[in-house]
Amino acid sequence: MRILAYFKVTPDYEALRESEWSAAAGRVPSSGGGEGTSRGPSADGGAGPGRGEHAGPADGVDTRYVRRILDCFDESALEIALRLSDALVGRGRAAGLGALSIGAPGAEPHLKTLLALGFERAARVHTEAALDFAPAATAALIAAYAGRIDRSDLLVLGARSSPGGGGTVPFRVAEQLGWPCLTQVTEVEPLADGRLRVTLMGDDGLQRLTARTPCVLAVGNAVVSHLRVPTLTDRLAVRDRQPDVLEPADLGVDLADVLRREGPSLAALEGIDRHREGVLIAGDTPRAKAQALFDARLKSLLEEL
Amino acid sequence: MPLSREAIVEGLRRIVEPGDVVTDEQILVESSVDNFRKLQNIFNVHTMPVPAAVVMARSTEKVVELLRFADEHGVNVIPRTGATATEGGLESAVADSVIIDGSAMNEIVSIDAYNMQATCQCGVPLQVLEDRVRELGLTTGHSPQSKPVAHMGGLVATRSIGQFSTLYGGIEDMVVGLEAVFPGGQVTRIKNVPRRAAGPDIRHVVIGNEGALCFITEVTVKLFPYFPENNTFLGWTLKDMATGFAVLRDVMVNGYKPSVARVYDPGDAGLHFSHFAAEDDCVLLFMAEGAAGIAKATAEGIQAIVDKHPECTQVPSEYIETWFNDLCWDASKITAEDERIRQTRNVNRTTEISADWSSINDIYQAARARIIAEIPDITMMGGHSSHSYINGTNMYFNYFFNVVDVGPEEETSKYYLPIIGIICEETLKRGGSIVHHHGMGKARAPWVKDEYGSSYYVLETLKHAFDPNGIMNKGTIIPL
Amino acid sequence: MRFTVVMDGTSAGAADGTPAGAGEGTADRTADGPSGGIHRRAAALGAFLRDGLKSDSAGASRGAIDAQLAGDTLVFYSDERAKDRLVALAPTRDVRLVRIEARRPERMAALLSARAEGGQTDLFLFAGGPAGTELATRLACRSGGQALSEVLSAETAPDRLSCRRSIYSGHLTGRFELSARPWCVAVDPSWADAGGSETVAHTIVSAIDETGGGGPDPFEDRERMEAPSSEDLAGSSFVVVAGSGAGDRQGVRRIAAAAREMGATFGVTRPVAMNAWAPMDRLIGVSGARTAPALCIVAGASGAPAFFWGIERASLIVAVNTDEHAPIVGEADLVLLDDAVAVLEELAAIVAAEREKR
Repeated sequence: MRILAYFKVTPDYEALRESEWSAAAGRVPSSGGGEGTSRGPSADGGAGPGRGEHAGPADGVDTRYVRRILDCFDESALEIALRLSDALVGRGRAAGLGALSIGAPGAEPHLKTLLALGFERAARVHTEAALDFAPAATAALIAAYAGRIDRSDLLVLGARSSPGGGGTVPFRVAEQLGWPCLTQVTEVEPLADGRLRVTLMGDDGLQRLTARTPCVLAVGNAVVSHLRVPTLTDRLAVRDRQPDVLEPADLGVDLADVLRREGPSLAALEGIDRHREGVLIAGDTPRAKAQALFDARLKSLLEEL
Repeated sequence: MPLSREAIVEGLRRIVEPGDVVTDEQILVESSVDNFRKLQNIFNVHTMPVPAAVVMARSTEKVVELLRFADEHGVNVIPRTGATATEGGLESAVADSVIIDGSAMNEIVSIDAYNMQATCQCGVPLQVLEDRVRELGLTTGHSPQSKPVAHMGGLVATRSIGQFSTLYGGIEDMVVGLEAVFPGGQVTRIKNVPRRAAGPDIRHVVIGNEGALCFITEVTVKLFPYFPENNTFLGWTLKDMATGFAVLRDVMVNGYKPSVARVYDPGDAGLHFSHFAAEDDCVLLFMAEGAAGIAKATAEGIQAIVDKHPECTQVPSEYIETWFNDLCWDASKITAEDERIRQTRNVNRTTEISADWSSINDIYQAARARIIAEIPDITMMGGHSSHSYINGTNMYFNYFFNVVDVGPEEETSKYYLPIIGIICEETLKRGGSIVHHHGMGKARAPWVKDEYGSSYYVLETLKHAFDPNGIMNKGTIIPL
Repeated sequence: MRFTVVMDGTSAGAADGTPAGAGEGTADRTADGPSGGIHRRAAALGAFLRDGLKSDSAGASRGAIDAQLAGDTLVFYSDERAKDRLVALAPTRDVRLVRIEARRPERMAALLSARAEGGQTDLFLFAGGPAGTELATRLACRSGGQALSEVLSAETAPDRLSCRRSIYSGHLTGRFELSARPWCVAVDPSWADAGGSETVAHTIVSAIDETGGGGPDPFEDRERMEAPSSEDLAGSSFVVVAGSGAGDRQGVRRIAAAAREMGATFGVTRPVAMNAWAPMDRLIGVSGARTAPALCIVAGASGAPAFFWGIERASLIVAVNTDEHAPIVGEADLVLLDDAVAVLEELAAIVAAEREKR
């Protein structure tokens, strides 16, 4: 089985202060949607952060200065892909793992980590375009890589991303590849005949079914949520391997054209007012406070319900 | 004739309210370890002797009675408040110990904004005290990573230090006076004066005693004015630690007191700063704080010093400020880390030492090289310096390893203690101290005589004098 | 502007199979139960049509069942016995029936795309959730239109549809513009709680049988697991949420017991679920259930935006937390500064005592 895992590296949004979110609400997103300052590699094409990133005004959400992390559902997807590969290899079946990320140079260290963890293939599609709110373009690149370059027969990725969260990329990729797609996947196990037993949380509850490859598996709230860690020895063994860096043109994708036709476009950011009165219910002990709450509001409310 | 577990519990019940004697099996088992053997609680595999009880002490008088009881019957006592210890100080090394928990003694006794002092009982969480004095425009200046969870008693007992120590000092610079109870029941109150020369400074018998000499019931600490609006951040990337240490030295020797002064090696920098630091970059960072003139002069002075080092490439201060704002370890970050460990079996540990400027880089390089060569399954081996003085600095080794082929309870014997051993050896060889601020606990107690040399006589005599029956936290500082 | 509401009723009815090992007690959780999926999805569509879809021409404040917007409902179904029930749930007068095999999203997308080819429909509306998102997305890809999921509101203009949805994990709301038609919109599932359904008399405009047209089900050996979905959370009027302030698994269990005692539905925040202190189906927030209860008690959760998104439509929020600086304190109507487990257990005892009296 030739497995491809797609992942996204995002800013650690939870490290942004509330004031930054409020400030972002007043701004207009940059063209292409989402974060203002695009993030590409430095001028010399190296993997490090470009000094040019530091300059420029920020429209949209200013995430220039927060650290980058693996998007959480993608991290589950990567570990699930590794466990699937382990299970297949344990049964004497070949299972090559590939990893793909798009855009962020911050993906390089993660791609190297994946090589150290035993991934055979690791690639990054280089683009300066902000794709957080461009699921069609993202899907076009993933599908092109999977279909034309990698020739994978199973794609595993997170069901939704932190910035966009629409959950449409897996289906868009499936449409382009002509593959079936399952979302909100929580577990994947190989069956003896090459099929996969997949557990997922559907509209109507937890389900299990058997899938044939090729297919797209989009990982949701899986219990497996952390990627294993390679040792220094593992890293040393792949020290001389570099992830492939591809341009959209190498994949046969006219990215500018796809983005032009891309829709919907993000037109404005709005803040969310969560403020409520926060009236304090006092009391000396938990019991006293609970009683005060009950007497003041809950008794009558519970009678109504 | 040692008392049985039942007899111990009986005796305790006669001293405090029955509800204050905790004998729930799960609580006792979890209380047998601290963060040193935290894997035991994370994986629910327990190997240490189980305490006979945890007893809540609600007043100095109760502490007196409890210690007298223990002293009379030879019961091992473990003093505890916030339970954030990392070196085994709270472990029960012998069977049927009693943990005396002072966390219910949580009253802030007074806040004196004119004399710049605050007095609180041992069970006051530092965060609570800090939040309260912030309302008055003041700060304790003490900010260890455990701030949200640690209590004042434990912070003094372990000679703790915080993130802003380069300006405010460690706990030993902040304590004014205190009250402690000794095993025979003696209540000693050291009064609050700014300085005195009325004999040796006996506060230092109590500060850092790690529960091996007495039980701290109350502390008074200094207060400082709080000017967060003047916080100024500075950061650079550079390629080698030797330069980093040299810059830190320059800053300290020239008399500047930034509240934060750190240099991270590439491995440790990668955990926090990979969005602006390349894989082989060290990161040098400072925070200047205080009254406007001081913060400005400090920042300018540091800027001028680093400007003379062309190997250092400055980064926008926003990177440092953003990192700084996200530093604290709240409860949900701790539980998330526990789950990460459960899933990946990848464990993060730290060991911090101190040494003079001439030795610190050699210790860092030598210890790091040996650990990588001698210890299996290492996934990251790095560290940073975070507390500097005119005459030296600390090195906070930060490392990760996978626990492979052994149960979680064997993590200490297969990985953690061997690594600590290497660090201690390389440090002692070059005249440094094997523990900068976490406390000896039980983990590093085996090296106590090497650490003290001939001065061990003083430590040993203190122990025999104040705890002749050997009931205070057996195995801590002085090994069994 | 013309719209079509798409109802996927292909999993409704006996053909779907009841949950493995299910007994009478799980009736509420099957696709055709009164609190079950298809009802909520239909309710969401109806409510969205009424109150979520607006025309931006001046003065127009009523919803789509209005002179300017004309539409119908296309009902996909598999089981004849479910047909009438599905028609009854349709939110428009005109209903078109299409019979196909169960669980064929690609087939449905193909049929919808053929319909879209004629340009007769500007807007397709789908119920939110994984299945609706899949259909909306596949249709947009095949028809050259544009799709958006979990839409909170939409405004029509001659050349575009302006929609709002949550972004950045509940930190902000984004306004998106769809230009190329057909617009394929999956409605946010929270519309199911908007309430106030109107009874509509239905006319079956067409009924066709498209079975046998597409390929086989790409997936086999489907098995419904005993573990229920979080449907009970989405429709509940009284929710108790436990956060990591519960301390540990035991604390979470105690809060869950207190919730049960009080007749509340129990949910948890993401850290609690990710630590396996509670099952994943209890998760509330951006990646879990969206609730709109009359009463929500938040026990030991700090109130992160991703979680708060799951309760922000609650009428009354009570926060129990030891940290007065936690964000939830400014986001709740009533605040109790104390230990979550202790307070919830006391409250449950008080509620139980009150019940005894009566």
